[in-house]
Amino acid sequence: MNDRQILTRDLLVLFGLTGWALSLPYYGSEFAVSMALTCLMYIALATSWSLFCGTTRYLSLATAAFFGIGAYTSALTLDTQGWALAIAYGAGIATAVAVVMGALVLHLRGTYFAVLTFGMTELIRHAITTWEKQVTGTVGRVLAVVPERDTVYLTVLLLAVLAVATSIVVRRTRFGLAMRGIGSDEQRAQTLGVDTRLVKIAGFALTAAFAGAMGAAMSVRWTYIDPTTVFNPFIGFQTVLIALIGGAATLWGPLIAAIVFSLLAETLRLQLPQLYMMTLGLLLILSVLYLPGGLASLRWDTFKGWWNDTRAWWKEKRYEWSGDKARDERREKERRVVL
Amino acid sequence: MSSEPHLSHTRPDGTPHDPRVPLLLDAHEVTVRFGGLVAVDAVSAQFRAGELVGIIGPNGAGKTTFFNAISGVQLPTSGRLVAGGRNLTGRKPHRFAAHGVARTFQTPRTFAEMRVRDNIEFGLKFAGRRPRKYVFWGDEESVPWALRTPQSILKLIGLDTLADLPAAAITPSQQRLLEIGMALATRPKLLLLDEVAAGLTEGEIEDMARLIRRMRDELDLTVIWIEHAVTVLLRHVERVIVLHQGRKIADGPPAEVVRDREVIEAYLGDEMEPGQEDGPAAVLLPGDRPGPAGPGRARSAP
Repeated sequence: MNDRQILTRDLLVLFGLTGWALSLPYYGSEFAVSMALTCLMYIALATSWSLFCGTTRYLSLATAAFFGIGAYTSALTLDTQGWALAIAYGAGIATAVAVVMGALVLHLRGTYFAVLTFGMTELIRHAITTWEKQVTGTVGRVLAVVPERDTVYLTVLLLAVLAVATSIVVRRTRFGLAMRGIGSDEQRAQTLGVDTRLVKIAGFALTAAFAGAMGAAMSVRWTYIDPTTVFNPFIGFQTVLIALIGGAATLWGPLIAAIVFSLLAETLRLQLPQLYMMTLGLLLILSVLYLPGGLASLRWDTFKGWWNDTRAWWKEKRYEWSGDKARDERREKERRVVL
Repeated sequence: MSSEPHLSHTRPDGTPHDPRVPLLLDAHEVTVRFGGLVAVDAVSAQFRAGELVGIIGPNGAGKTTFFNAISGVQLPTSGRLVAGGRNLTGRKPHRFAAHGVARTFQTPRTFAEMRVRDNIEFGLKFAGRRPRKYVFWGDEESVPWALRTPQSILKLIGLDTLADLPAAAITPSQQRLLEIGMALATRPKLLLLDEVAAGLTEGEIEDMARLIRRMRDELDLTVIWIEHAVTVLLRHVERVIVLHQGRKIADGPPAEVVRDREVIEAYLGDEMEPGQEDGPAAVLLPGDRPGPAGPGRARSAP
């Protein structure tokens, strides 16, 4: 397939999925819609995360910070500014924070970057808690005016579609190419003329904008928010896990993994609540060991490869356990002595 | 050589050593210090348009660090760098690339998972990009035809048949060529080559040298070439700079430099057999790794 055909395919798939998701509230149960909301939230978070962090290989754990900032902005502005503006403010403030944070930490790589983004998330969470205690006197706020269920669902769907569409488009632009270059060899990209600092800050801000908007839209689901809920580091970790298991460098990987995960998480939470986190950890280990490219890299050949490997391993074991191997080795030794 | 087409048709053969030729890069007292270690010690050098300059020196002499400094990769501790009349001291590498300084790395650093063609296109889309208005007004004419498209660059470096392979799949010597292609795609004025012939066979080294001369002659490029294999380098360059322990100890035509007392003591000494000290033939012997016993042996020779 050439580039144009791939673009057409991606857009058609996105169009089809959107249509399906649009029809869901008309026939789905309350439970299905609520699960779809979680699904869409993680699709948007993981897709926008992997757009920057997957291509440039800067592992950011700050998603929870942007999500929480979005949620708080929405909680503060929703009753005076209205739904659309509240989300826009959430995205805007998260972007602004990302620009400042990016300018401070994006010159670091690897573990340092990951740890610092996590540290900043905690810093922001505690700063907001302190501010609430000192200034407003109460921790947490109640969202009194909440839009209808369908409005929330459509907004979250719109954001998720926007995230995937942005990912499709950005991957084909110079900006996307620059980020791929940074992921491959940052210094080389720089000597070929990429202003890496600018590109990294812009990419980080783009990720934050989606996380902020999503936080603003999802905050109404809780009706009461406090820093521990919306700045929950687990939101950030789960986003990273989904993107990695799906394949952070791919377009559809995070989306597939987000769907699989939300379904799996819900089922496990209901059936085996104690095993939920353990299963997640196990899945991550398995995917890192046997499927480093993520779910999106699964092909028919992958299964064939696993099958052949298993058969070869079994054949070798049978050879060993039947005693044939020991016999052959003994004969080989004797033959060498004779010669 | 005459059977191959001329690469630019924009300039008749220039005179490289003409002092009226504009200064492309002026490095003034460049010093790079790592903690207590002075890797490059106040090195000044001027590079004019159309020159082919070699840089030699023993291991750890600061050749690559000097390269890193004049391509912006390493921030110099002190000193001044002026490229094309613009002071670029302390700027990031992409500013150097935008002002026509391109480089290759000692170990090829291609974008492994991208195709060979995309590796070339990368430079064309960033430092080598012509803003649309120039293309519209026909300024593209001033770009030599060999540097206009990824295809023509691939043809120039001889990788046009491998364009669709991932860069990780080609051999190390092809990767070195690809590195040069990536640098050419930024449409540079000054090309810095860091040990591009290391690890190549005799024949490949000759091909590489021919490619370098051709780029210089026909693409209007200034080339600075670091090489460990001194013999090849001295045969092809017109000016050679010798670095030793971070200092510049000689700068001039190869024939003069190999007679220089200090250079022989510091670097070429161990390659000279007693009684053969006159004439550049002395350095054409194989081997270029001066051991610790090198200078001592040269001094003890009768």
